[in-house]
Amino acid sequence: SEARSPDGGSFPAQVSVLYFARSAELAGLRCETLWVPRQVTSLQLWEEIVKVHPRLAVIRDQVVFAVRQEYVLLGDQLLVLQTGDEVAIIPPISGG
Amino acid sequence: MDESEDVPKDFIKLKSEKLSVDEVSELVISPYCGAVSLFIGTTRNNFEGKKVIHLEYEAYTSMAETEIKKICRDVRQKWPSVKHIAVHHRLGVVPISEASVIIAVSSPHRAESLEAVMYCINTLKASVPIWKKEIYEDEYSWKENKECFWANSEK
Repeated sequence: SEARSPDGGSFPAQVSVLYFARSAELAGLRCETLWVPRQVTSLQLWEEIVKVHPRLAVIRDQVVFAVRQEYVLLGDQLLVLQTGDEVAIIPPISGG
Repeated sequence: MDESEDVPKDFIKLKSEKLSVDEVSELVISPYCGAVSLFIGTTRNNFEGKKVIHLEYEAYTSMAETEIKKICRDVRQKWPSVKHIAVHHRLGVVPISEASVIIAVSSPHRAESLEAVMYCINTLKASVPIWKKEIYEDEYSWKENKECFWANSEK
């Protein structure tokens, strides 16, 4: 049976993490699924990902996330994640 | 004349094949429009004294298309007379002097399409998840648009 907690916050979600440009080179891959807390700040989510790929730490000041295709700065913003959500690491863009 | 037959359309394409100015212009031509404005972004052969061999582009494709659709929606709010908008961006290897992006906009009179094209390219550079890698003779560099609000510019 499913584990429940009063706030539901620690019950994990399995998200798809996408890596682009420099972050893909540092992580060594373009996509994977990770188990992350269901409720987490964007900075905490970054720290979870850096635990898996420590080489990403060098670009911390340059990246943002795209969570369900919306940009999110690394910081205090609380994310509510569900299994299947897409989280992308977005280095500084250079289209056009 | 029944202009309702010529409903405004957005033509958005990310592709690895060579872009065509003729193709993109023809997409936006309309008998109700007297103006088609175009922007073509081409690859330069040098950066800070280094010779650029070629460029490589990658994209978060689904989100890039969504962000470009948002730009088109904003264009139509700001310039309601704009008829058709086309944004084609190349991905993968782009040789020197070839186009990496072509934007075309049609409108009845020229002011709106000229302004809308400028808005499109400026906003694309600020918000669309596409990345450019410059390949030099001995190294490469991921570029960062100055329009990107989270880029780590000189501190």
